[in-house]
Amino acid sequence: MTALIGESLPRPDALGKVTGAANYPADLVRAGMLHLKVVFAGRAHARITAIDTAAALAYPGVVAVLTAADVPYNAFGLIDHDQPVLCADTVRFQGDKVALVVAESKRAAAAAARLVQVSYEDLPIVTDARAAMQPGAPLVHVARGSNVLFSIPIRKGDVVQAFAEADIVIEDEFSTSWQEHAFLQPEAGIAYVDEQGRVVVETAGQWLHEDRKQIAAMLGLPEDQVVIRYAAIGGAFGGREDLSIQHVLALAAWRLRKPVALVWNREESMIGHHKRHPITVRCKWGARRDGTITAVQAELLADGGAYASTSQEVTKVAAIFANGAYNVANVWVDAYAVYTNNVPSGAFRGFGAPQAQFASEIMVTRLAHALGIDPIELRRKNLYREGDIEATQRPLPPGVSVRECMEAVVTELRTRRIGDGGQGREQSHATSHLRRGIGLACGIKNVGYSFGYPEQATATVELYGEQAIERAIVRVGAADVGQGTHLAMRQIAAATLGLAPEQLTLITDDSSQAPNAGSASASRLTLMAGRAVHEAAKAALQQWQDEERPAIATVQFRPPATTALAPVTGEGTPNYCYGYVAQAVEVEVNTLTGQVQVLSIISAHDVGRAINRQQVEGQIEGCLAQALGYALLEHFQVRDGRVLTPHFSTYLLPTALDMPTEIVPIILELADPNGPFGARGMSEMALVPLAPAIASAIHDATGAWVTQQPMTPERVLAAIHAQTQAPRAGSTE
Amino acid sequence: MIPGEFQYFAPTTVDEAVSLLQQHGEDAKLLGGGHSLLPAMKLRLTTPAVLIDVTKISDIKGVSVNGSVTVGGGATYHAVASNDAVRSACGVLADCVAQIGDTQVRNRGTIGGSLAHADPAADLPAVALALGATITAQGPGGARTINADDMFVEMLTTALEPNEIITSVSFPRLGAGAGAAYEKMRQPASRYAIVGVAAYVKLGSDGNVAEARVAVTGAGPKATRQDATEAAITGTNGDDAAIAAATDKAGEDMDYLGDIHASEEYRRAMVKVYTKRALAKAIAQARG
Repeated sequence: MTALIGESLPRPDALGKVTGAANYPADLVRAGMLHLKVVFAGRAHARITAIDTAAALAYPGVVAVLTAADVPYNAFGLIDHDQPVLCADTVRFQGDKVALVVAESKRAAAAAARLVQVSYEDLPIVTDARAAMQPGAPLVHVARGSNVLFSIPIRKGDVVQAFAEADIVIEDEFSTSWQEHAFLQPEAGIAYVDEQGRVVVETAGQWLHEDRKQIAAMLGLPEDQVVIRYAAIGGAFGGREDLSIQHVLALAAWRLRKPVALVWNREESMIGHHKRHPITVRCKWGARRDGTITAVQAELLADGGAYASTSQEVTKVAAIFANGAYNVANVWVDAYAVYTNNVPSGAFRGFGAPQAQFASEIMVTRLAHALGIDPIELRRKNLYREGDIEATQRPLPPGVSVRECMEAVVTELRTRRIGDGGQGREQSHATSHLRRGIGLACGIKNVGYSFGYPEQATATVELYGEQAIERAIVRVGAADVGQGTHLAMRQIAAATLGLAPEQLTLITDDSSQAPNAGSASASRLTLMAGRAVHEAAKAALQQWQDEERPAIATVQFRPPATTALAPVTGEGTPNYCYGYVAQAVEVEVNTLTGQVQVLSIISAHDVGRAINRQQVEGQIEGCLAQALGYALLEHFQVRDGRVLTPHFSTYLLPTALDMPTEIVPIILELADPNGPFGARGMSEMALVPLAPAIASAIHDATGAWVTQQPMTPERVLAAIHAQTQAPRAGSTE
Repeated sequence: MIPGEFQYFAPTTVDEAVSLLQQHGEDAKLLGGGHSLLPAMKLRLTTPAVLIDVTKISDIKGVSVNGSVTVGGGATYHAVASNDAVRSACGVLADCVAQIGDTQVRNRGTIGGSLAHADPAADLPAVALALGATITAQGPGGARTINADDMFVEMLTTALEPNEIITSVSFPRLGAGAGAAYEKMRQPASRYAIVGVAAYVKLGSDGNVAEARVAVTGAGPKATRQDATEAAITGTNGDDAAIAAATDKAGEDMDYLGDIHASEEYRRAMVKVYTKRALAKAIAQARG
């Protein structure tokens, strides 16, 4: 039955999702439920001087208006509890929640929400990360005394000497902007108190047990008095890691002892949940004439927005990838996350890696140009090898395969002769405003939790029958956010047990029925939850062979330990597994308008072992769409703390017409030592190198470097104009 | 996203519509396809007490081609885009409206509605200016005509009186020796013009450009003729060098608006790019 591993079984949930039969959280709303409307601050920074709910309460159909006084423990957050559920005295960003209106109809709740009178005294705002670090900047959290939310240095070797001895040194500054998750299904859910007196929230999320923990803490309840259930989840991408509506639904249901429903519209979703961190990278790279990269110095400055969310983890991830996937003897990184009055930044597919490597991959290609070495050759010389030492001074976890990924891309590129236009290309460049170029980039991103955060996944497998196993139940609290993890778990369990996939029942979406497998994040579920399922299935099978009926085994899997980074040097073992990727792209640039069309993408991934090949390809292709949007289109604009792009008419997502006609996913299977059947995570990797690959292709086509993400037509055109008028500032190329 | 309350009328004749306008004055708004008005109402940027739906007035929905192309104020974009006679008599008009918005927009949006609203990013005002269209409006005192050149006064402001309704718009037939084109950079989601340029040229018997009109939309507060470009191309043989010289003068003397879609500076650059495209296409068409 191990034949099941790798097989492109069709998704059991596909038909329901295509026909509309699937129940997403908004489909759970039933007649007779109360409706909740959030009253947002609508301003970036202010003191609340009074909240008058009388007019709202008097509105026909209104049942309650909840404010900070109604929240038992009014603070939450994935790491620091620095975010109020409902603001009591200060609002710190536009999407801060001030009150909840609960009414018998959605319409009444919306109408009454406009009648909640909040008196504000506006406070000075700080919306620029660098300005926020300056002495005297308005403080977002006064009690902290500083806007610096987190900082980490990384020190390896001696960069001063290395730069002094380098034959070539280049420096530049790169900026990346917010990215919106833009999942198809905005936040929604219902909550009620069940017959056992437990508060039940049925919604979408990425980690049942973490949602449960935070909501129990907010309500001052033991965790077993809170039940989280996930309906079909319409995408997540990190955007459902932080609580957005789950806790306020629970609060209203708990207070009122009645079923409550909430369905956000797109604008509420855009304003209400966190975004990808904008990060500015100032960096300096040095190399010897023979192509050895000898030193990297970088300052990374992340805009954390109004609340901590996962900023410190994202900042650390960005910091350890300041040197990309390259073996560099001397590394000096200072990374900061700061509070501002912008929308909070948090988890988003890639989690700091895309921002850091937008800079590092462009710098490597520019170093190659400056040295007169082919960028592929320069990468061959410097890419990580097995046993190399990370910037944190510890050896990489085993299974280093970035070179194999790049060689697969290079082979494919040559086979297809992409960009090999020869004389024709030179001619077209002389006469046409449409110019083609190719670009290549590599990427690295951790799989699983980092920096000593407790990492585990637990699964239970139950086997029933008499002589032969007739059916099995697999319990694993792993969220299927659309990536297909439930089918992967089914295939792993069926293959291990020697059963047909349909003989299995999966229990995955109820915190009271499925054990904690950790979050659907960090590309970790196939490796972590998959390994737990694999081990639990093996253990249950052993019990079955020992004549136990039913045979029930619960296994907790823990991977090799990671460590926190030392505060002065950044020394430590940050991760137990990395995913590796390489990409090549061909683009066509309109040099008159700055418009860029991506013509072709080759994306090579070491996935360890594909559990379901079709799903792996689906993850690569879907991730590439998100990556292309990040690279070229998705410009989340905020002015004075106000979101200017809260709709899809203003925040541009890629469509089929923006995608290249050719996407070539290449799947390498170099077994990971910890993954089930050798599988390793892959879901985020395609997002890491695409933007720098496109930037390099734009340079190949036009001679201009774009250093700001997204690379909008306007920025590309400005870069082309700047390049034709003056040599780049700040570069010794 | 819920509009305020309003009274709704659906007159079936122009006279009825005009008398309703008279009766309700500033409180009333005409409703055509509703694509501009209803979103503004939902956002409560405007809260008219009275809506007069003109889509039931059959007299203003006609499209006819005789000596000129006459389009009713209530004719939909689709009615114009799909009319073969319009396409052969004045292809640029059909081409322009065929790429407005999407199918749903073209099935409801009206010619009169677009011109009366005068959205700074609408396509039709540029084409009306370049073709020298004539707008017929009816008010309490009867009908009058307005030249396109006099129509667009300021952002979202036209020469129409509050109690007037556009009954028809007349566009010229493009005969032998004439050519016109509309080229635009569209905002990908709304398809509004970030910059749109309409160009019309008429060649003389010597084959040189005898007459030219060029108009820009999307770049500034209102659709604007490009006098310097027109002057520069007129009298030339319309070759690449002449087009390039005329293009250089495009957008030099006009007001720009920057927004989240594009800065003023970018729009200024795009006016030249799209002027060149529109002029080249119009001249090629005029040569047959």
